[in-house]
Amino acid sequence: MKIAALRFYNVKRFARQGVAIENIADGVNVLCAANEYGKSTSFEALHALFFQPHTGAPKEVKRLQPYSGGNPLVEADIVVPEGRFRLSKQFLGGRRATVESLDDGRLIAQADEAERFIAGLVRGGTAGPAGLLWVRQGITGIGDRARKEEDEERQVRESLLSSVQGEVEAVTGGRRMSQIMAACQDELAVLVTPTGRPKADGPYSKALDLRNTLAETEKRLAGEVAILREALDRRARLQRELAELSDPDEQAARREAVVKARAALDHAKSHAERLTAAQAQAGLARNQAEAAERALVAFREALHRSATVRVALDAAAAQRGQALTRRAEAARAIDEALAEVRAAEAGEAAARALMARLDAALAARRAAAEIEALRARLAAADAKRGEVEAAEAALALIALPAGAVDALQKLETEIATLRAAREAGLPSVLLDYEPGIATPVLIDGEPLPAGEPRPVADRARLTIAGLGTLTLRSNRPEADDGRLETAQTRRLRALSAVGAADLADARRREAQAREASAALDLLRLELRHLAPEGLATLREEVARRAALAPEPTELSDDPEEARRAREAADRRVQAARNAAREVEPLHRHAGEAVTAAETAYLTLKAEFERLEAGLGPENERPAQEARLASAHENLAATLRERDAAAAQLLDGAPDLQSAEAVLRRATSAEDAARQQQERLQLDLAGLNAEIRTRSDDAVEEAWREASEALEAASKRVAAFEAEVGLLNRLAGTLADARAAARDLYLQPVIGELRPLLGMLFDDVSIVFDEKTLLPQTIRRNGQDEEIDRLSGGMREQLSVLTRLAFARLLAQGGRPAPVILDDALVYSDDDRIERMFEALHRQAMDQQIIVFSCRQRAFARLGGQVLRMEPWQPAT
Amino acid sequence: MYRFIHSGDLHLGKRYGNMPEELRGRLKEARHTVLRRLADQARAQGASAILLAGDSFDTETPSPETRRQALAEMAHHAPLTWVLLPGNHDSLQAAQLWSALATGRPANVTLATEAAIHELAPGVALLPAPCTTRRPGRDLTQWMDGAATPEGTIRLGLAHAAILDFAEEGGASGIITPDRAARAGLDYLALGDWHGAMAIDARTHYSGTPEPDRFKHDRPGQALLVTLPAVGAPPEVTPLVTGSFEWRTIPLHLLAQDDGPARLAALLPPGPERRQSLLRIAATGRASLNARTALAAAIEHAAPEFALLELDDDRLETDCEAGDLDLIDRAGALREAAERLHAASLDTAASAAEREVARAALIRLFSLCQKIAS
Repeated sequence: MKIAALRFYNVKRFARQGVAIENIADGVNVLCAANEYGKSTSFEALHALFFQPHTGAPKEVKRLQPYSGGNPLVEADIVVPEGRFRLSKQFLGGRRATVESLDDGRLIAQADEAERFIAGLVRGGTAGPAGLLWVRQGITGIGDRARKEEDEERQVRESLLSSVQGEVEAVTGGRRMSQIMAACQDELAVLVTPTGRPKADGPYSKALDLRNTLAETEKRLAGEVAILREALDRRARLQRELAELSDPDEQAARREAVVKARAALDHAKSHAERLTAAQAQAGLARNQAEAAERALVAFREALHRSATVRVALDAAAAQRGQALTRRAEAARAIDEALAEVRAAEAGEAAARALMARLDAALAARRAAAEIEALRARLAAADAKRGEVEAAEAALALIALPAGAVDALQKLETEIATLRAAREAGLPSVLLDYEPGIATPVLIDGEPLPAGEPRPVADRARLTIAGLGTLTLRSNRPEADDGRLETAQTRRLRALSAVGAADLADARRREAQAREASAALDLLRLELRHLAPEGLATLREEVARRAALAPEPTELSDDPEEARRAREAADRRVQAARNAAREVEPLHRHAGEAVTAAETAYLTLKAEFERLEAGLGPENERPAQEARLASAHENLAATLRERDAAAAQLLDGAPDLQSAEAVLRRATSAEDAARQQQERLQLDLAGLNAEIRTRSDDAVEEAWREASEALEAASKRVAAFEAEVGLLNRLAGTLADARAAARDLYLQPVIGELRPLLGMLFDDVSIVFDEKTLLPQTIRRNGQDEEIDRLSGGMREQLSVLTRLAFARLLAQGGRPAPVILDDALVYSDDDRIERMFEALHRQAMDQQIIVFSCRQRAFARLGGQVLRMEPWQPAT
Repeated sequence: MYRFIHSGDLHLGKRYGNMPEELRGRLKEARHTVLRRLADQARAQGASAILLAGDSFDTETPSPETRRQALAEMAHHAPLTWVLLPGNHDSLQAAQLWSALATGRPANVTLATEAAIHELAPGVALLPAPCTTRRPGRDLTQWMDGAATPEGTIRLGLAHAAILDFAEEGGASGIITPDRAARAGLDYLALGDWHGAMAIDARTHYSGTPEPDRFKHDRPGQALLVTLPAVGAPPEVTPLVTGSFEWRTIPLHLLAQDDGPARLAALLPPGPERRQSLLRIAATGRASLNARTALAAAIEHAAPEFALLELDDDRLETDCEAGDLDLIDRAGALREAAERLHAASLDTAASAAEREVARAALIRLFSLCQKIAS
């Protein structure tokens, strides 16, 4: 499509004025005018003509109306392959839309038809590319959608994309696609949730619910039908059974069996009774016969026994007499023995009394003797005490002070030592005697001991028996130092102190004192022996005994004799007792014998008397015996008869138990049949009720209905499943196709865009993402820059170029579309605009481009068809 | 001469749970009113009895209303005699039904519940073979061979079962010997079970149902008027139309160029009949996307006039030509999507179900395009 002319009237400030822009040619057309001259108004008028329905009054349309009112009128001449047409629309008042053919002046379409014609131009009919590619002042897109996106200016890349994308979709027929996809999604949304589940309360979900409900119902009803059929079958079975049971022949047979069995049982019972009676009579006879037999045997035994007992009785009587005699003898003997015992015991008592008296007299005499002895001891003790006292007095006279003898001894030794020292220088005499010398040699009157040297101080005289006296003289002066004399003096003093002549005397006195002391000790011991507890005690004892002593009695008999007498009496008692003890068993035995004999006798006697009494008088006994024997004989005969009768009955007796069993069986068979009938009838009644209920409910009809409905519902669910499947498939395929188409179209657009960019930006290279057509990086002077640094100028240039690229693409596809730029290059510098125009001219060889701009100077030398706005008045 | 109407398989009380709600009542009602139509025909043709060869009731336990209303209708047409034979749907096993019928039976209704000779009219002996159970599993007509009737008596057999190996509901059991009429010396053997009328031989006939209840037989409901001129003489059998609803499967074979809606219009019955028609259009052959959509639309358009009108296009192949796809779009993503679906619908490597989904999706896309363009 190309636009040849644009005219409008009553638009914005052009109230009751018209503007016409004629002779719009192919290639670049430039309408250059100052601001507020009417460029934007032209642009808006053209936009309204193509995009606003003449019937509507949205704000975009209202904006066209002048302040003073009036109805905006817009018309345009276009050239399409089909011919040249004039499009005309009047908005608000006097609304109309027409399409005229400029070739023959025919009115092609008006009102809605005209709108459809125009829409077809814009949307390209079913093929759907936009017929116009608009670029507006500072705006990279057009329409609500684009404007909304423009508001987000910071989203540089986004807006660039959307400006491009919008064209892509326009080119790819995306609006229909969107509508179809939306329709597809709408249909799908009715059925399923976004996650693909049946949507609650949706028809699909309802169909599912219905199917599930029906499936349950069908199952329940099928169960009920099965129950009903089972009940029907069972009832048929029961009825058959009942019919069999109720068969009259069978019933009669059962009845007859019972009657027969009962008769048999009655017969058996009466027979049994007869048998019992006969057996009872036989029993009675047996008892009688046995009694008679017993009586006969007893009588005979009694007879025999009587004779035997009589003999035994006589023997027992004799024995009893002997026993009595023996007992009397024994009694006598024991009496004698007991008398002897008593006599012996009396003698023994007398002897004992005599002995007692004698003992008392002896005791008294012994006590008197003891007192006498004690008195003698007391006297001796008194005497001994006198001796002790005398001895104590004597000892006191001769006693030496303790240590005196030792002191003397010491002195003596000292003296002896001194003397020995003096005698050491003295000659000595030593004599060894011949053996057998009886008379020793005397020295100075003293015997000279053998082998002992004897000093001779001055002179010594040896008297030798049988020989004479030998005098020895030493003739040596005695050395005297005085010490010996001093010692001897002290000795004298000591001796005198103790009153002894010399040491020996002292010693003698000491020995005497010792002896006296020993004698004294002895005396004291004797005294203690005589009166161990002291004299006083002894004296008291004597006095006590004297007080207690019994009067001594005179001994009349000889105690020894008395003792012998008593022993004799003892022996006699012992002997008598032994004798009595010996007799005692004899006596007892005799008594027992008497008792035994008496018992035997009495027993026999009683038996005999009983027998005699039973046998009766002796003379009648044979007759009695004969009578008893005869009676027994008769009864035995009766017994035999009756036994025979009973045996006969027993032989022919029917079996009562089996007769009873037969009856029981027959009765139970009949009862069972009757009970079975009753039970069957009861069951039948129950089944009848059940069947009637279910039949009246027409459960089977309901079941068939439900199963048919289920089938239909299942089909419907399957249909919904298929519907969902196909819608999903369709939606998926459409989405895939759209994505693929986007790729398909974007690539060529980028291909077209690239050389244009090269022309415009020799110092800048922009790398696009091949997939999204988003600028990825900008390379300026060899430096990579952030994409959001794109200047406003560059943005608008890109926007324009992108549209140019699309326009080329469309033109290549045989569907050229004009590109309309309304002050699209406000941010760009002149140099850039120049380059831009080179691009535009290059485009315009086969592309209509209409530029509205206020930059007169910049555009003045850029070439292209210059458009002028001329006054215009619509034809009335 | 003895004249009677041979019918059967009334299936009284059938509820049609698989049919649309509003249609069920009418179909059920039609089954009841066929009693009146049978009686009218009998009177018109001078028949004295109507023999129903089994399956008078659809179930063994019909609702009391169904049962009572049927008996009341029959009683209304006295002195016309009705003979009811137990079939497989209402066999003797349904003792409750038969005892209830016996109790409430009017004088002009005979229940052929025993396999024994019954004098239907002077000189006419009825030999019924009632179904003892749902599946008797034996030839119930065998007893007729040995059943003696006085010389000169017309012997009339009545049975409900399959002959050979076809049965109305499959699983034939208790097959009747095809030459039973000859063997048992029957003048006529009236059979039920098969819902379409069929002559086995000159003396053995299935009457078919007087009121069809399914698409199986494709023929109007009818009964047989049987005239027995004399003992041994061949019977004269005349079909009588009794159906109220017509159930038909109409084959529609399409060629690629055929105008489906036009062909359909020619096949559909004229106006007033439509309300009583249940039709299934069994489309076969080939149709373009456009033709197919048009056919579906035509069916949808016509359907409200019918009791039931449905399209079975499972066996209709879709021809997809460039022109059809052009109607979707000449190029672009939509065309691409259509091409893909078309290719998938022909892809023999994919399963039949997947092809079917693709085909349906293509048709839907087509119809959506039409809708949006309009």
